[in-house]
Amino acid sequence: MAATKKPTKYGSIAAAALALPGVVLHAENAPESGEVALKYLHYNDSQPGLDRITVSSPSIYLLLPISPRWSLEGTAVSDAVSGATPRYHTAISGASRHMSDERHAVDVKVTRYQERASFSLGVSRSDEHDYTSNALSFAVTIASDDNNRTWNLGVGTSSDSIGSTNDANLHESRKTTEVMVGVTQAVTANDLVQGNVTVSNGSGYYSDPYKEPDVRPNKRGHVIGLLRWNHHFSELGASLRTSYRYYHDTFGISAHTISTEWVQPITPRLSVTPSLRLYSQSAATFYFDPIYDKNVGAPYPPNYFSNPPTYISPDQRLSAFGAVTGGIKFVLQADANWRADLKVEHYVQQSNWRIGGSGSVGLDNFYANFIQLGLSRRF
Amino acid sequence: MASAGFDFQAMSSSCQIRLEGRDETDLSAAAERAIKEIRRIERKYSRYRSDSIVSTINQAAGSRTSVRVDKETAGLLGFASQLHQMSDGLFDVTSGIFRNIWNFKAGKVPSQEQIDAVLPLIGWSKVNWDGERISLPLSGMEIDFGGFGKEYAADRAATIIQEAGIQHGFVNLGGDLRVIGPRSTGQGWRFGIQHPRDDGQVLVSVELAAGGLATSGDYERYFEADGRRYCHILDVRTGWPVNCWASVSVVAPACLAAGALSTIAMLKQKVARDFLEDQAASALLISPDLALQYVGSEKPFPLML
Repeated sequence: MAATKKPTKYGSIAAAALALPGVVLHAENAPESGEVALKYLHYNDSQPGLDRITVSSPSIYLLLPISPRWSLEGTAVSDAVSGATPRYHTAISGASRHMSDERHAVDVKVTRYQERASFSLGVSRSDEHDYTSNALSFAVTIASDDNNRTWNLGVGTSSDSIGSTNDANLHESRKTTEVMVGVTQAVTANDLVQGNVTVSNGSGYYSDPYKEPDVRPNKRGHVIGLLRWNHHFSELGASLRTSYRYYHDTFGISAHTISTEWVQPITPRLSVTPSLRLYSQSAATFYFDPIYDKNVGAPYPPNYFSNPPTYISPDQRLSAFGAVTGGIKFVLQADANWRADLKVEHYVQQSNWRIGGSGSVGLDNFYANFIQLGLSRRF
Repeated sequence: MASAGFDFQAMSSSCQIRLEGRDETDLSAAAERAIKEIRRIERKYSRYRSDSIVSTINQAAGSRTSVRVDKETAGLLGFASQLHQMSDGLFDVTSGIFRNIWNFKAGKVPSQEQIDAVLPLIGWSKVNWDGERISLPLSGMEIDFGGFGKEYAADRAATIIQEAGIQHGFVNLGGDLRVIGPRSTGQGWRFGIQHPRDDGQVLVSVELAAGGLATSGDYERYFEADGRRYCHILDVRTGWPVNCWASVSVVAPACLAAGALSTIAMLKQKVARDFLEDQAASALLISPDLALQYVGSEKPFPLML
C-alpha cells in the first residue's frame, strides 16, 4: 500500500529536475530482490465462560523479481481451526458443538512495471471442507510526472461455493464484484495523504448454514471510504499513521473505524509500533435481539412462527457494537537481508461501546488475541 | 559479485563510474553505454563545438531568426526557465558571458564600466522562448548549459546503467555524483565533501545509497586580489561574485536537482538556508570561516572525519 511508504514530496526544483526524461528511471520498478517470508499467526477468541475458536495459521510468502519489468509473488496459507462453533446469541447458555476445520489458501499475483505505471493480475483460491472461494483481481497504479501523486484503480471478482456439514444437500454459491478508486498524494515532504473509495456488489447465498433461524437477503452491496494520513517526524525519525474508514452495506450496517499507530525506531535495527483501533457499527436491519418466543423458546424470536420475517439473523457480527483493538509490533532488521517481526493484538468487543447510539442488548462481550511471528529473508 | 571501476575524462573533468554486479562483462557493457551517453551530451551542448545546438542558438543571437530545438533541448531549456523563475532570476543560463570580463586565470578585477557594459546582454527574461523555438534578441547574448549539463549527464548515465539491470554503483562526473544503488552489501557509498580551503582534503563524508550529491563552492575557480576572494559564482543582477558561503552541498533524488539547488543556494547568499528549507532539501553549508550548517535531515551528512 503506497500510503505506508515514507512520504517523498520534493521541492519544486527537485520535482522539475525529476520530470525531465531519463534523469531518473521512471519505471515503477519491479522489486530488485526476491523475498521469502514465513509467518505464523495464532488467534483465539473467547467470551465470558467460553473459549471459542483457536486458529493456528502458518503461511509462506514468496516474491520473485523475474526481470526489471516483471515480478511474481504468491502466498500459501494453511489454517487449522478448532473450537466451539459460534453460539446463536452469546446470551444463550448451553454447550456448543466442537468443530475443527482446515483451510488452505493460495494467491498468486503477477505485476508488470511500466514507465510511471504498474499493472497487476492476481488469482486466489481458498478451500475449506464446506466453503470454496475463487477470486480474480486486476490493479493499476499510475504516478504523476513529479511522483508526488499516485492513482490507484482496482477491480476484482470472486465466486464462492457454500456447503454445510449439517446439510449435505446444501450447494449454494455467491458472486461478488468490486471496484476501487484511490489517490495517494504527497502533500509536504513529511505528509502523505490517501483517499480510496471501494464499491462492491454481490449476489447469492449470504445466510449462515450453521444458524437457525438465519435467512439473509441474496444480494449484498457495500461502499467503503478510506482516508489515511501519514506524517513523518524528521527529528524523531518516527512516523504517525492514522486512518478513518467508513463502511456501509445494504444489510443496513454502517461502521466507522479510526486507526492510529506510531512507528518509533529504537535503534537503527529495531523499531516498535504501538497501535490503537476504534470500531463502531450499527446492526443489520434484520438482526434480532436475544428476546425469544415465550412458547417456543430460544433461538426463535417472538411471533416467529405466526408471522415469520422475510430476513432474520441472530449473528453477533451483525449486531450493533463497538470494539477496541490495542497492539504492539516489534520489527528487527537484523541485517540488509534478514528481518523478524512480532505483533501482538488484543481485541475487545462490547455492545455498549457503540459510538453514536446504543448497542445491541443482551450480548456477552467478545475478546480476541492475535499473535503473529514473522521471519523474512531477501535474496 | 564482481566490482569494476571505469575512469575517464569528460566535460573537462576527471570522471569515474563504479559498479557492482554479478557479471563483469555486463558491468563493462553498461559502463560503456553510459560513457557514450555522457559524450553525446557533451557534444550536443558544448559551447566549444560550432556544431552543437548551443552554438547554433548563440550564433543566431540578434538575427531575429529563432531556432527550433529538439525535444531533449526543449526539456532542458524549460528546466532552465523554471530554475530562473524558482530562483527569482538568480539562476540564469545567459550569464556565461561574464567570462569575457571575469578572467579567473588572469586574476584581474574588472572595472564597473566593463561590468555595466555586459549586464544588458544578460537576462533570461529577455530571451524569446515558447517551448519549441528560441531566439536571443541581442547580438552578443549567449546561453550555455554549464550550470547543469554535467549533472544532467550524470543522471542520464545512471539511468542507462539501471536500465541494464545493474543495481549497485555510482557515477561521478568531476564531483557531481549520482548513486545508482547501494553497495552489493546493502551499505551506502561514502563520498567526501571537499575542504573549501585545503585542496584535496575532505572535511565531511557522506554516505549515500541512492540519489544525487553536488557541491558548489567558491574554490572551484577564483582569485584573490587586495585581500578579497573573487569566485566564479556571479550575481547576475550586479555582475559581482557572491561571498556568503565557501560551499554548499546538496543531497537530492537526482544529481540535476542537487546541482541546481547547491548553485542557487550559493547565489541566494544570506537567505540560502530559507531557500533550501522551502525546497525540502538536505544540505550542508560551509561558511568561509568553516562553520558547518545543516538544512533538512542531517542523516546524509553524519560522518565527520
